[in-house]
Amino acid sequence: MFKYILVIDIKSKIVRCVFKMRAIWKYVGKRVLYVIPTLIGLSILIFILSRVLPGDPALMAAGPNAPKWVVEQIRHQLRLDKPLWQQYYYWLVDLFHGDLGYSIYTKRSVTVDVVEYLPASLQLIFLAALFEIGGALALGIISGRYAYKLPDNMVRVLAYIGISVPSFVWGLLFQLIFAAIIPLFPSHGMYSYGTIPPPRVTGFSLIDSLIAGQFDTFVDILWHMVLPAFALSLGAMAQDARIIRAGMVDTMQKDHVSLVRAYGIPERTIFSKYILKPSLVPAVTVMGMDIASLLGNAFMVEMIFQWPGFSRYGINVMLNKDINGIVAVVLVVGIIFAIANIIVDVVVAYLDPRIGRRSA
Amino acid sequence: MNKKLLAAISVIVVIIIVIGVLAAVQSTQKPQSEEKRLLRIGFSWPTYIDPAVGSDYSSSTAFTNLYDPLIFPGEKGVPKPWVAESWETSSDGLTWTLHIKQGIKFHSGDELKAEDVVFSFQRLLAIGKGYAYLFTPYIDSVTAVDDYTVKVTLKKPYGPFVATMMRVYVLDKDVVMQHIKKPGPYGDNGDYGTDWLLTHDAGSGPYKVKEVVLEDHVYMTRFKDYWGPMTENAADEIHMLALAQPATEKTLLTQKQLEISSQWLPEETIDALKKENYLKVSIFPGGDEFYLMMHTKKPPLDDVHVRKAIAYAVDYETIVDQIFPGNPVAKGPVPSYIPGAATDLPTYYRDLDKAMEELQKSKYWPDIQNNPNKYAIDFHWISEVPAEEKVAIMVAQNLQEIGLKVNVVKVPWLSVVEEMANITTSPHIVSVFVSAHYAEAGSLLESRYHSKSANTWEQNEWLLNETIDQMIEDALSTIDTNERYQKYAEIQRAIMELCPSVFLFEHMLKVVHQDYVKLPGDEGYYTGVMGYDFDGRLIEVLSTT
Repeated sequence: MFKYILVIDIKSKIVRCVFKMRAIWKYVGKRVLYVIPTLIGLSILIFILSRVLPGDPALMAAGPNAPKWVVEQIRHQLRLDKPLWQQYYYWLVDLFHGDLGYSIYTKRSVTVDVVEYLPASLQLIFLAALFEIGGALALGIISGRYAYKLPDNMVRVLAYIGISVPSFVWGLLFQLIFAAIIPLFPSHGMYSYGTIPPPRVTGFSLIDSLIAGQFDTFVDILWHMVLPAFALSLGAMAQDARIIRAGMVDTMQKDHVSLVRAYGIPERTIFSKYILKPSLVPAVTVMGMDIASLLGNAFMVEMIFQWPGFSRYGINVMLNKDINGIVAVVLVVGIIFAIANIIVDVVVAYLDPRIGRRSA
Repeated sequence: MNKKLLAAISVIVVIIIVIGVLAAVQSTQKPQSEEKRLLRIGFSWPTYIDPAVGSDYSSSTAFTNLYDPLIFPGEKGVPKPWVAESWETSSDGLTWTLHIKQGIKFHSGDELKAEDVVFSFQRLLAIGKGYAYLFTPYIDSVTAVDDYTVKVTLKKPYGPFVATMMRVYVLDKDVVMQHIKKPGPYGDNGDYGTDWLLTHDAGSGPYKVKEVVLEDHVYMTRFKDYWGPMTENAADEIHMLALAQPATEKTLLTQKQLEISSQWLPEETIDALKKENYLKVSIFPGGDEFYLMMHTKKPPLDDVHVRKAIAYAVDYETIVDQIFPGNPVAKGPVPSYIPGAATDLPTYYRDLDKAMEELQKSKYWPDIQNNPNKYAIDFHWISEVPAEEKVAIMVAQNLQEIGLKVNVVKVPWLSVVEEMANITTSPHIVSVFVSAHYAEAGSLLESRYHSKSANTWEQNEWLLNETIDQMIEDALSTIDTNERYQKYAEIQRAIMELCPSVFLFEHMLKVVHQDYVKLPGDEGYYTGVMGYDFDGRLIEVLSTT
């Protein structure tokens, strides 16, 4: 008898799990459909903006003394001699072929630039995200658990400093303290002099070094990433810690917490399931947006640490009026924001099933 | 305190200690590599190592080390034989015969011959970028007479042709043709190897490409079979690094991870670094001058007396002492050390009485004094060079003393270039550094004051003066050097009389370097030709890394 009850119970759990997965995929699919028109609108906007910014990109690319025919050749190559709507149409057609155009800054395909520089930034952001999430949770939980006591006050001071100081200032400080005065970490770059870069497989140098079995290269790259990743994460970490703390303080005063406490449920369970989990909903939303915005905001940190990443590339194409580069950078950042939004929505739906049901 | 909180804090502290220990261990372990003489130099980016594409400072430095030019600039830019070991010209100046040195090896092992020189010329002219503009108006054809003789036929006589050959870098034709991509914009030549040459070289220079990461660095390694003279203790490797932040450069210098800084360190950073006993500051002519370019067709600057009043009102000495220390006040339109510069010109200097005297001779007097707002002068300075703001403010104060109103406007470089392309949108005054393209006064005179450059960033004056144009063209077509220099001097006198610009100062390059690096500039040697300042043939690195 019990055997049959067990089998039925396992089956029903599997069925519930399958239905839940289908619901999640349906949810994600709907979100993706909403994102597409947003990205199309973004591409039109940035396409037009890049063409109306001051400066002649053909002249910039050719150089100030180039003969007219060279300037016209470049203008033709960039399709600037065509009406704006035609330029956008051809750009869209090329996009569907994976061709983001020619970069007048790097003198090669923008697609090659994106493939080369984006992974470097993504892995830096990933480490920054780990620091951000781990630090925010630790500080937020300590602060919330001991609200209005000494630990909370200490975390509050740290948070104010973290929020008010821009990431590039942290970058400069860390470089000065931990690379110059106490040389624990390298001051710039991705590899130490003499380190052999791993053969390119995925483009993510950390993963490629593991694939190639170059563990010393893996550690070397990670060592180079610590300071810039930490500098990037601090501001958002401080902000998210405060949000978690506020959420916890608010939730602790709710009636349902008193009720479960009255039922005699262990304090640890109350804390994790009834206080922390609901408090994370606003924090997760903000965390997701913070992590997504790192790609666009990391350029100063990448320049300070000479990190060969996408954000630095982005600022350089903007300064050099590389119109194809500008459009590609904005589009990639937009796509990453959209993906981050979707992930955040899924996590939030998991944390608070009511939100998931409402959205479905 | 709660046990769990203590445990959590302990875990965090242990993690921090572990990371710190790992970092300390990693910092003491350097990757295995043999000790080399390493020369790491900071530059602003981008850098294009293809001689037919790049023409800025960092690109030209790369060419100097990866390639050999036909002619090499010696001290003070005096041309000396190099790949072209001798040359002669026909009496009408239209045919030049170059004799190519034998036994020069490319990095591929092939010998450099006349066909490579012909190919390099043709490639440069076909692509049309980089330094092609020096040759496109003049060269009719280039042919190989035999393996070691090249004949260049010109459309018109060109006196500075020898000096301009410092910008013809010889490529290995076979190697380039092996790497062309088709289809391309150059017909049967495909892309002419432009894609491959972004990250490779086809040169014969003392260094060859080891690694290029476009956004980040160019690493070069010594070419063991280099034919030419190299100083003892020349670098084994040269690393050109894209360094945009002074703070990063400062850290690298103090950590001895950078041998030579870029030329763009702010004065405050240089002053701080000077205090370190292991760092030195080297100052040498950069081949450029800082001008206040006055729009000669825009009232009130269309009146020569107003322009002269401005030239007499500016406080030159304070500007160079306080804002750009170490840079000498300019003596004319061309830096004094460039061959062909006139050094006996009647210069302008701060004299408010003379300034008022000139202003009172102008057609706008006395209206210009009674209605300064009506004649307000827009001074545009380039936002990417913050020190220019101080110059603009100082000049505004100086002109206020003679009753002129100046609006100081901060403009990004891209906008300045766009403004200066049109006579209507060009501002009254723009402050710009302009470099000579080759080591002769004619280069600056042509790029600064000939009508064909009027819509480029090198000329805001819109001089459009037929007499000056003819004088410049006549000088440039004069083959005899002394005669040509005399003509340059006359042009410079005429320019001084027209006063289309305020000639503020001759720009000196300032770099900070390690004391174990010996730069030719430390001993007073300079070429004054952009890109040849960091010639690996001449720089000694006395310590290994």
